Amino acid sequence: MFGYWDALYFVLVFIVGLILAYLLDKWAKKSGMGTREVGEGTKIFISGEDPEKVIPGFEHLEGSYTGRNVMWGLTYALKRFFTALRGEHTGLLTDYVSYLIITTAFVMMVLLIWG
Amino acid sequence: MIQFQFITAFLLIVLGIYAFLAKRNLIKLILALDIIDSGIHLLLISLGYRIELNEVPTAPIYTGYETLKSPMVGPLPQALVLTSIVIGVCVLSLAMALTINAYRHYGTLDVRALRRLRG
Amino acid sequence: MNGEAILPYLIIIPLFGAFSMPIVSLIGRKAREAWAVIISGATLAVASALFYSVWEDRGIIVYTLGAKSPLGQGVSFPIRIVWEVDLFGAIMVLMVALVSFLAVVYSLGYMKHDTGLDKYYTLIIVLELGMLGIAITGDLFNFYVFLEIMSIASYALVAFRNDTWEGIEAGIKYMFVGSIASSFILLGIALLYGQYGTLTMSYLAVKLAQNPTVTAKVALALFIAGLLFKSGASPVHMWLADAHPAAPSSISAMLSGLVIKVGGVYALARLLFSIYSPLAYKALRAYGYPYINMNTVGWAIIIFACLTLIIGNAMAVIQTDMKRLLAYSSVGQIGYILLGLGIGLAAYGSHTGEVALAGAIYHTFNHALMKALLFLIAGVVIHELGTRDLNELSGLAKTMPKTTFAFLIGAAAIIGMPPLNGFASKWLIYESSAIFNPILGAIAIIGTAFCTAAYVRVLYTFFGRPSERVMKAKDPEASMLWPIIILAVAIVIMGLFPWQISEKVMLPAAKALEDQLAYISAVLGGA
Repeated sequence: MFGYWDALYFVLVFIVGLILAYLLDKWAKKSGMGTREVGEGTKIFISGEDPEKVIPGFEHLEGSYTGRNVMWGLTYALKRFFTALRGEHTGLLTDYVSYLIITTAFVMMVLLIWG
Repeated sequence: MIQFQFITAFLLIVLGIYAFLAKRNLIKLILALDIIDSGIHLLLISLGYRIELNEVPTAPIYTGYETLKSPMVGPLPQALVLTSIVIGVCVLSLAMALTINAYRHYGTLDVRALRRLRG
Repeated sequence: MNGEAILPYLIIIPLFGAFSMPIVSLIGRKAREAWAVIISGATLAVASALFYSVWEDRGIIVYTLGAKSPLGQGVSFPIRIVWEVDLFGAIMVLMVALVSFLAVVYSLGYMKHDTGLDKYYTLIIVLELGMLGIAITGDLFNFYVFLEIMSIASYALVAFRNDTWEGIEAGIKYMFVGSIASSFILLGIALLYGQYGTLTMSYLAVKLAQNPTVTAKVALALFIAGLLFKSGASPVHMWLADAHPAAPSSISAMLSGLVIKVGGVYALARLLFSIYSPLAYKALRAYGYPYINMNTVGWAIIIFACLTLIIGNAMAVIQTDMKRLLAYSSVGQIGYILLGLGIGLAAYGSHTGEVALAGAIYHTFNHALMKALLFLIAGVVIHELGTRDLNELSGLAKTMPKTTFAFLIGAAAIIGMPPLNGFASKWLIYESSAIFNPILGAIAIIGTAFCTAAYVRVLYTFFGRPSERVMKAKDPEASMLWPIIILAVAIVIMGLFPWQISEKVMLPAAKALEDQLAYISAVLGGA
């Protein structure tokens, strides 16, 4: 209903984009001051974290904290929402049953009033 | 005539749900499950048992049907309840097996102790 | 091909296979594994033939147990158990058989170090049998029996590793609450039987349209609550996040990919469209007769769907356990399917409703493939590294490149990235929800944002710096790798032809589901 879409066109555009990126990379390498092929330049540098850096007091987490803080902004901004959600997941069997009863009561009420 | 069997059936179901919410012991929860099941079985059986023309219906045995003059109870609910009882036994035995295992791992039957998985 | 002749084999083959499994496994380990693969493979073959037959004829296959015709002698109403397969049911049958077959093949390598495997293979085939039964049945009590077969097998399989506390705790939580939900469904069936005196779905639909009572509404509420529980909708989704990670990974793939859909969403759709019908509601309302307002039901389902969408995907963002993250993501995706179902019900008769329904059916199939793939990969990771804590899995891409690449495909598909299969189905749902009500469209997009955040976390972990633990890992053996490759290839291929599949299979399936009169007259013979 909205516009037109075909996956094959997407694949085509994707391939063209890849070729363009490759050409751009070649051009940048040629016209730049030269890319470092060894040492500092080859490090994986995701979301501003230097994987080689050792934080004092957190040595036990070294090398295994890569994905941990990626969504920090989101989780921090919605901290109260997430805390409330976590608080609701109590893990108590009785709570699970009461939620089931509440759901049944809600659906039954809706159906009996507006059904 | 008040149809006591229907009232009893719903009373059993409500009682079972109440016990599930209020009790803490896993064995009691299994009993609550059985009580809910029994309530539904009673309801199903009662649906087939209809007193018509003040005649008490008999068991649905079709051999010698022609000589029998009184009405029979509905055979279908009884078949359903038999099936449902078999399923209920299966559920109860599995629940018992899990409860025994839970006692081995947790050393208690309190349902409040079973909350290491959460969040 | 004659679909009616092959339909019973869909139940006979797995039933025979499951109960002959203990005898076959006396011969030896190899025989047992070969038997499991043969049985699930044969079921897949039958399911494919059935799907093709239904798809080609565009008809409904009716099979009566024990007689030629479902109608009783000398009476004009059905008294026998019938099985009734339309295109929607056939899609479910194909999906169940395909994913179960791959899960069985995967188990050969994955469950190698476990004991009690004869029971494991028996249970996995019984689980498949239960789901197939739900997809083909046309009788309410038969439906309950198959639902319980499926549920009991899945309770037992969740708690299969009974030497761990996790499996036992999750099993108890799943089982106790699940039994209450099943009891609610049985209570609903009992109420309907007491009111209308029949259990055949199509005849019940006629009776319901003639005389909609308060009892039918109460029964409907019990059905909806029980089936929402079984499909893992919020706020009754908490068991899912406990149970699905605790099961062995091949079982997690089946639980998340199949059980919550066939036992939950499919049953709900069948109930709402084929028994309680929006068609009858419209007709009765137009002529001023008493009716059951299916519009309200649709909106109730939409409310639950929106809750499920947001809560499921949001909880996935903050998980550190990989399988738990995937389980919460399943909850979120069920939200999309329920949203499509709810809009299909509330906007019944319009093109929007049909597109939403087609999107829901499409997403059901797609999500089965994607979530099965992701859980199988999680299983590979557990098998190789012995952990599923995301903080310890950093840098997996270095040592397990094929696995990581497959995960990338699965994650991209579940987020809805073109050109993979998740895009088309999610697009149909966004599109119809935006046309139906823009707020719903916005909520759906917010859910996808959370979903993306969750999977980006996992991918960053995988592509990060390798930790020491990861360095010993390697890509798994063939029996575990091939199911993953097949699923990944299926996702890519389905992604390349989205509109063709949508036009040829999913829209006709949505039409078949909406066409209640055809469903009724297939059994009653136009009477």
